[in-house]
Amino acid sequence: MSAAKMMCPFCGSEMNHHADKLTYSSPEEPGYNPLFDGSIEEFHKCPACGASASRLVLN
Amino acid sequence: MAERALYIPVILGTVRKGRLSANAARLMTDELSKRPAVETELIDIATLQLRTDDAGEAIKDPNFAARMDRADALVIVSPEYNHGYSGMLKHVLDSCLQEYIHKAVGIAGVSAGRYGGTRGIQDLLPVMRELGLVTIFWDANFSHAHKLFGSEGKPLDNSLLPLIDKFLKELIWMARTLRYGRESISLD
Repeated sequence: MSAAKMMCPFCGSEMNHHADKLTYSSPEEPGYNPLFDGSIEEFHKCPACGASASRLVLN
Repeated sequence: MAERALYIPVILGTVRKGRLSANAARLMTDELSKRPAVETELIDIATLQLRTDDAGEAIKDPNFAARMDRADALVIVSPEYNHGYSGMLKHVLDSCLQEYIHKAVGIAGVSAGRYGGTRGIQDLLPVMRELGLVTIFWDANFSHAHKLFGSEGKPLDNSLLPLIDKFLKELIWMARTLRYGRESISLD
């Protein structure tokens, strides 16, 4: 999990982190976590305007 | 603040000429459009013009992706071809991923035979899960599709409507529940 709350790029409201997706990757790729043998992407939703956003979890 | 309307598009999952699934997809769209606080439209995958020299998110169509991102739920109308679903439907669905996560999906199967696309639906279920979609447990089955609709593409009677009503009620419940979860319930 990333430390900072994600803010909506459209309306500026605090977004809700509702999902993580694992993508299998290799150690030289950004966000690679050996615990999962891949990288985790976080998915966030804005309760105010309904916008979606995502970000890679960087170790 | 008034609740935003749900957006639930219907995906017509075949490009085959003469497809009877188009009648089923129009009926699902018509029935959805009668529901309060629901916006819908028919997305015909034959109109998307996705490349076939690559696959996955590399061929994403921005307009289709935007509609999947906006969607709260999907209805997929899937004909059964040789006991499976259409390859072109898979090609289109695979072009997005994050747009689907934690959204509801209901599948309407269509077939010329008596099973109403059930075998195609069964094959689609694990695909839905891997895409991050959440399946409802009502299906809509259009058996003997060539006998259900008239020459204008309208159903010959109202016998399908009770099943479609059950299907849509659960889909809308799931869409509202998952929207609340996406927006308000944190993983952390």
